Amino acid sequence: MEKDVEIITITLNGVEVSGHPGMTILDLAHESGVDIPTLCYDPLLRSIGACRLCVVEEEHSGALLASCVTPIASGMMISANSPRVRERRRMMLELMLASHPDSCLVCDKGNRCELRRIASDMGIGAVELERIPQPAIIQEINPFIERDLSKCILCAKCIRACQELVVNGALDYFGRGFATKPATLGNLPLENSECTFCGTCIALCPTGALREKDTPYRGTTSQVVHTTCPFCGCGCNICLEVKDDQLIRARPGKEGINQGTLCVRGAYGLDFVNSPERLTIPLTRVEGSLEEASWDKAIDIAALGFKHIKEKYGPQALAVLGSPRCTNEENYLLSRFARGVLGTNNVDNGSSLYNSATRIGLGQSLGFLNSTNPLSDLEHAETILLIGADPSSSAPLVEYAVKRAVKQKGARLILVDPRQTELSSFSHLWLRPRVGTDVALINGIAKSIIDEGLLDEEYVSRRTDNFEELSKSLEGYTLDFVERTTGVLAQSIHQAAWLFAQAKEAAIVYGSGITQVSGSSGVMSLANLAMLTGNTGAQGGGIYPLQKENNTQGACDMGSLPDFLPGYQSVEDAKSRRQFEECWGISLPTSRGLTALEMMEEARSGRIKGMYIVGENPALTFPRPDLIREALSSLTILVVQDMFLTETGELATAILPAASFAEKEGTFTNFEGRVNKVQRALNPQGESLPDGEIILKLASRMGFLLPYLSPKEIMEEVCELVPWYGEDLGLEESRKSSTWGSIHQKRLLKGFPRFCPVEYTPKFEAGDGYPFVLIVGTTLYQFGSGSRSSRSSRLAKFSPEPFLEVSDPDARELGIVLGDGVKVMSRVGETTARARIVDTLPPGMLFMPLSSPQNYVNALFDVSLDPQTKTPALKACRVRVERIL
Amino acid sequence: MQGEGRKNLMMSEQRIITRNDQEQVRKTIADLQDQSWPLIPILEKVQEEWGYIPPEFIPTIAQALGLFPSQVQGVISFYAQLYTEPRGRKVVRVCRGTACHVRGGKTILKLVKRHLDIEEGQTTPDLEYTLETVACIGVCALAPNIVIGGKTYGHMNPKKVEQLLGHTKGGG
Repeated sequence: MEKDVEIITITLNGVEVSGHPGMTILDLAHESGVDIPTLCYDPLLRSIGACRLCVVEEEHSGALLASCVTPIASGMMISANSPRVRERRRMMLELMLASHPDSCLVCDKGNRCELRRIASDMGIGAVELERIPQPAIIQEINPFIERDLSKCILCAKCIRACQELVVNGALDYFGRGFATKPATLGNLPLENSECTFCGTCIALCPTGALREKDTPYRGTTSQVVHTTCPFCGCGCNICLEVKDDQLIRARPGKEGINQGTLCVRGAYGLDFVNSPERLTIPLTRVEGSLEEASWDKAIDIAALGFKHIKEKYGPQALAVLGSPRCTNEENYLLSRFARGVLGTNNVDNGSSLYNSATRIGLGQSLGFLNSTNPLSDLEHAETILLIGADPSSSAPLVEYAVKRAVKQKGARLILVDPRQTELSSFSHLWLRPRVGTDVALINGIAKSIIDEGLLDEEYVSRRTDNFEELSKSLEGYTLDFVERTTGVLAQSIHQAAWLFAQAKEAAIVYGSGITQVSGSSGVMSLANLAMLTGNTGAQGGGIYPLQKENNTQGACDMGSLPDFLPGYQSVEDAKSRRQFEECWGISLPTSRGLTALEMMEEARSGRIKGMYIVGENPALTFPRPDLIREALSSLTILVVQDMFLTETGELATAILPAASFAEKEGTFTNFEGRVNKVQRALNPQGESLPDGEIILKLASRMGFLLPYLSPKEIMEEVCELVPWYGEDLGLEESRKSSTWGSIHQKRLLKGFPRFCPVEYTPKFEAGDGYPFVLIVGTTLYQFGSGSRSSRSSRLAKFSPEPFLEVSDPDARELGIVLGDGVKVMSRVGETTARARIVDTLPPGMLFMPLSSPQNYVNALFDVSLDPQTKTPALKACRVRVERIL
Repeated sequence: MQGEGRKNLMMSEQRIITRNDQEQVRKTIADLQDQSWPLIPILEKVQEEWGYIPPEFIPTIAQALGLFPSQVQGVISFYAQLYTEPRGRKVVRVCRGTACHVRGGKTILKLVKRHLDIEEGQTTPDLEYTLETVACIGVCALAPNIVIGGKTYGHMNPKKVEQLLGHTKGGG
């Protein structure tokens, strides 16, 4: 009977308060503003009642209850502050302090120590109990985390964070009684364990037992700024702790996509902002070498150079390359600068190299331009198809979500990856197709779903278009054909079809293994699969395209694209243009501009004479860096705006020093479409300026005074001109998932989701003399081209030198052993690395990390463009390998 | 230093786990896995079959049960009767209960240690004996007692220890 009662009323400290069934006494106390000290409790973790500090007294029975694990029951008479309660808490705390070293004065945790704070709140000073000596610091060589278990109070926050939040399980209790401690498997140092140094446990540890190692700067924080991580497309909420205009540390924020978790890059990789290699003064080229200059002079050179070219050769001789690392506001400005100031649609951003496939693929099929659901929905999926992505290193937050779905919610994971990854052991079905055959595999699964009658007929017939065409196009993809093409057993394809189609909700997660190998065809084939089974957006279903950079989504949304004005409004559409022309008070160029790679082509052939590159490093990250450098060197004027002197900067006429993400205001849009705030925590280093301010300076020197006083004003204009962006931008609100749906409904293009039949075309076929298929991918301790991660002191210490992974049989055949130097050669270029022999690859396949400043993996890739997206395949190619003697 | 040398020796005598062994343990797991709380029964069975729980099996067991290896290790380390190091073929348990204590149990323990040349909780390098102490074995009338390989020996004295363990390595 009591179960039916919606409201439970108890007496708390003499006052009647009400709560819902399932609430704990602690929950209700928090809600009622009653303070109860805790050490092992955290709302993000399952409560275990370990520290007993939250005891309260039930006055009827006299029972002392741990309030964090005791559910409220009708009629309870709770005292949270009775003499008995205070006495018991005091005893608990004194027992903890008896085995805790008196090293508060020198402890790095300082004022952030919860144990010390609570002790001082209770007036506990010296402890009279006999001291129990504890084991001291564990010797570890990793540059991130130091464990001093003499300060451990066994609250198990680290253990629970590792098991429940990041689902990594590196730690658990070890031993029993007094000897208990949190330990890794085999009691090994963290660097020899499963630990990925995500920093989640450190942020939760209430004492100094877990602490940051090798902090670049020490001191007590004077300011905490909430902002957004500048690395991958997840867009985690981070708290930057600042003192003396120096970044002391980054903690995971408890809101946003990440909910208290983070990865090693976000937690320990941000000190690049304090790097001594930062550009702090503009540089200009004087007689062949770069020399320091004043802002006025550098801006003069840039502005006059552009002006000259515009007058002499017309605006089409100029091009602008923006960056998915800059804010939305900066990309919007850049888009306006190119179109309104220079007068050309030759504007693109570096992400178009890989993101166009998603935009075109999902756009044509579903009418979505990005992820259909927020990441939190993924945990409601019954089946997850993860294909062409290794989120463990490219988007760790997504990995955590997939693992939580599998481990805690019982989801089934279909993993499609020829390489064994961290998630292989979490998968229920692991398919290892040959590289480049994904479209055949997905078509095979789709056909299997249709043939077995597993499709969602009502959805397909009432909500979609073009099913007949799809059905016809799949005729050739028999199990037999697909097995022969992909190397995946017919039985497994069949099983995948059942697992996917039988699930109530099934989600698809894909990454650059699809977009950069199969291009938009791959994306469309996945969209077909989602449509067949009615999984296009309900919670638990949906499609999640992973994106590499923090603001890939935003840069494209803001119109850093040659064919779209902000908000994907076509430059060729007069009506769209008119809106911007009216607002900006100018007339806009009418034909689509050049994509990033086309710009380089045109520069090489001399038709593009001036370029403005903001935050991109094409000389390293584009395919055929040799040709790119040739192109850039042939320009009359190259203006590069960056934080560091990059390989591209080396070729510049003028270099404008840009501020880091921590030194500016604005917004980033993550892969889900969530618009996150970027807030200033530090002053720009030296004379560097936020990218937006530099663009304004440049525009004004060219005679165009753009009327913005702050990034906020820019965003207000965006919201006016791109209504669906506006909907989402009660910025604070946008962090809450409740407002999330609207951005996508607005973004839904007209019409029904439409099946787009796609054909498999063979790729990477065995070529003469190039027997291996090389795959490149991200590694956890590096990012992008490495211009930031290699300048982060701790990441740099931990990131390995360039390596090539070779399967055991191949290594034996090539006569390669661990650590050998090897030369990797493709038809267009070569690079060197050290060999690692692994059992994670099938024979015939090799793996190399994507980003490592010491070698140019991209040198191996040719500029072979996907016909539809005009993007290069930067993920896999045919190579041969030689041992260097 | 002596202790360390012995430890290294023990390590070197520890069994090297092969792929076949892993196969075998997978079968053991599969036989027991379907019951509702299978971890402890599996650990006990593995220990019964191998004499201890080779650490190499921890990830295998964890994977089969959907646990983290650290969790399996946590359980093993919690229970005194589960071991991750090899045990001697015979366990020598010296009683240090009250009755044995007053009748010289401490000296008996010292002698046994000297004969076996190991400390409490250790195993002889030839994997013949493991030395433990127990709180009481319930035959106080015969004190001082020791148990070797399940057989109880009462009224112990230095001579009898010599007879029982004199042939061992440290005994000479």
